[in-house]
Amino acid sequence: MNFIRTSPTAALSLPATPLTLANKLTLIHQHIPGCGVTTVDVWVKAGAIREINDWSGMAHFLEHMIFKGTARILPGQFDSAIEGRGGMTNAATSYDYAHYFMTLAAPDLVETLPYLADLLLQAAIPDEEFVREREVVFEEIYQTYDSPDYLAFQALVEGVYQRHPYGRPILGTEDLLKQRSPEEMRSFHRRYYQPENMTVVLVGDIAQDQAVDLVERSFCDFQPPGNCPQHQFEAEPPMTRIRRQELRLPRLEQARLMMAWIGPGTDAPAQEKVDDGLPWNRFRSPQLYPDPIKDACGLDLLSATLAEGRTSRLVQELREERQLVSEISSGFSLQQESSLFTITAWLEAEDLERVEALICDRFSHLITAAIDESELNRSKRLLCNDHAFSTETPSQIAGLYGYYHTLADLETAIAYPQWIQAFTSEELQAIANRYLSPYRYAAIVTKPL
Amino acid sequence: MTSTIALPQNRTIHRTVLDNGITVLVTENPSADIVAARLFLKAGNRWESRENAGLAHLLSAVLTKGTQRLSSLDIAERVESIGASLGTDSASDYFLVSLKTVSTDFAEMLSLAAELLRSPTFPEAEVELERRLTLQAIRSQQEQPFTVAFDRLRQLMYGQHPYALSSLGTEETVSRLTRRDLQAYYQTHFRPDNLVISIAGRITPAGAIAIVEESFGDWQVPAEPRPAFDLPPLAWQTSEATPPTSRQVTTSQDTQQSIVMLGYLAPPLQPDENTRTDYIALKLLNTYLGNGLSSRLFVELREKRGLAYEVSAFYPTRLDTSHFVTYMGTAPANTAIALEGLKAEMDRLRTTLLTDEELQTAKNKLLGQYALGKQTNAQVAQIFGWYETLELGVKFDTQFQEEVAAVTAETARSAASRCFETAYISLLGSASLLSEHPS
Repeated sequence: MNFIRTSPTAALSLPATPLTLANKLTLIHQHIPGCGVTTVDVWVKAGAIREINDWSGMAHFLEHMIFKGTARILPGQFDSAIEGRGGMTNAATSYDYAHYFMTLAAPDLVETLPYLADLLLQAAIPDEEFVREREVVFEEIYQTYDSPDYLAFQALVEGVYQRHPYGRPILGTEDLLKQRSPEEMRSFHRRYYQPENMTVVLVGDIAQDQAVDLVERSFCDFQPPGNCPQHQFEAEPPMTRIRRQELRLPRLEQARLMMAWIGPGTDAPAQEKVDDGLPWNRFRSPQLYPDPIKDACGLDLLSATLAEGRTSRLVQELREERQLVSEISSGFSLQQESSLFTITAWLEAEDLERVEALICDRFSHLITAAIDESELNRSKRLLCNDHAFSTETPSQIAGLYGYYHTLADLETAIAYPQWIQAFTSEELQAIANRYLSPYRYAAIVTKPL
Repeated sequence: MTSTIALPQNRTIHRTVLDNGITVLVTENPSADIVAARLFLKAGNRWESRENAGLAHLLSAVLTKGTQRLSSLDIAERVESIGASLGTDSASDYFLVSLKTVSTDFAEMLSLAAELLRSPTFPEAEVELERRLTLQAIRSQQEQPFTVAFDRLRQLMYGQHPYALSSLGTEETVSRLTRRDLQAYYQTHFRPDNLVISIAGRITPAGAIAIVEESFGDWQVPAEPRPAFDLPPLAWQTSEATPPTSRQVTTSQDTQQSIVMLGYLAPPLQPDENTRTDYIALKLLNTYLGNGLSSRLFVELREKRGLAYEVSAFYPTRLDTSHFVTYMGTAPANTAIALEGLKAEMDRLRTTLLTDEELQTAKNKLLGQYALGKQTNAQVAQIFGWYETLELGVKFDTQFQEEVAAVTAETARSAASRCFETAYISLLGSASLLSEHPS
């Protein structure tokens, strides 16, 4: 079994092997002998940010249509084949990616992987299925309209991203989807479901040479990319003040306060590559520009310090001591072009202003005073253990690799605990200062109608 | 099409009963540097009186907030400073403490769990805080259409039985609960001879038992026996000859989607294998109807008719009469045809035999997912501890799989005809639509 040593200066061995195949498809493989199952997780850089504004919702709708078959596979036939063998399969779409995964008994992979590849590469998107499945997507959209947390979060990201596709709903809208045609979806599919956009992660009871052979044979017949309208990115107006909005919702039993700050995107800015290219050196070499991945790890630590667990700053003060919120949480979500740091509180409407002011004050404190050693160690251990706790099964491991490889690089998935351990209080203070201004953020408050 | 998932390590489960009656189960699994534990007490919502509904839940919220030696903050610091996780929960049929640590921290966390279970103080201020937050949570449930529809369905089905209410209790009962109620409930149920500790991960059976002995070994069994608590039986089955009937409840809410829910009282899980044929057959039918992208409801109502995004079924395993529920969210205009669609599928199972292929596919699916549900240490600790708590023993793990494999189309149909007879219906949506479909 491969392992990672705990010292940040020691050699880091990758338990997984990344390979670029002749057609530029990426394969990440990890052999776990004797575990009995194998997970395949295919990550495609074909998320909602690829859509032009009028095509909003296309990436997600396409994810539904992938399962509607090809010239060789009838709609639903793939699902039956996987589930009938006792396996499971599903898919998900986000802004930066769509991914498709299945977990099944290791010996069944040889027979089933070619079918998953066929679905992904040769999606037929039949006209009548397009119309029928669109109704299902509408139902998915209606369901979100009955969720106050979803509506509030959507309003929040619209406040953060006024031009960028990150501000649009991934599901799109009924009006826009009604204007789209199966042929437009086929052009989107052909354009983005290409080998250079795709990473196949195979983790489980399968040897490497067999995995390579199987993936090479299955993922070979890509369609010509053709033409598809491309999103023209406009400059996003910088956040220069507090952008606050209020949302009134029916059937609301408790108010929400959501606040968001923009973090680094993994694509930008240009990174200074260190000479030996060893990823763990990332944190030791002086650099001209802030490293986005390092800053992202720092924001994870700040998020844990603020609101992960009863002893975290905001939970302890606002839930336990002052008893102003019934729940408060914080999150950092890594994205390719701009990440998002959020605080969410559930509280009584009359306490909204006071709680927002207290949170801003605690952010100022984060910038002006260094976090003490024991508090920092607590956050580090929480994150490192969370990482260990989420790598028990092939499907968890495959998801982790695919996610980090798509957004950043595979090394981040492996070296993450080491990088977290290497942080100093001063570095965190600088990161808080860089991103978490109490004067520049977006906020949404929801109140009952 | 017959291979199913078999996890390789046919793990040995080590079972010991300590002198004070604690049952300890240990599953050694060295593959990751993790140990998970689940501590079960037979003390969930099922053991609450109607007036005290929500008691077990409130107790679970306050249990971690003070012991004779430690304050709420001390306890949280001990857990979080080593990045462990420690949680408490009250389910329908049991009370649960869950732990997860890296291997070296396990002894320390189990000793903390012992302190919580053995000397909680339920500080007055913490009871007050958690009660207020529970009341808020009860109100917040009203924001979720699915939860509201299910709550109404459950009350219709169960009447005065404790399963009628959500584990949070009601605003009325929770506002009356006192610290004294918590203490009385604690005194009754929290005792070593009512405790099962299930441990899985990188730890040897001998090492695990030594750690349990250290923390729990001197916990004395109270002199008086644990009081019996028998609920009046709630009949779920009727004769096959009875024509189907239904009872209905509607909730008017101005939502974007209607929720359509169709439920039936269903068999509990019995330790005696001769009386659980229907339970096993209905577990299989639950998979057939509602599990996955190829399930019957998904294909018929979503894929072919586009009526829903979410359509599924659930049949939880319960000590007392359980419930078999199918549901979907649909556009308001489709409310009536959605209900007809669900109803037709359930009635069909009373009369039509599954084909050999349908039966085999459902078995592969159920057994495959069952195997996939035992991958993490936490899952392993949970499932074996739960079987022990239900008095089925860890042998039920194999028995369940054998009994599922033995279901025939006829036993499935016959179980369906007994179970899917009296339908309980819960509809939620805008007032105008519901008035078009009077009960």
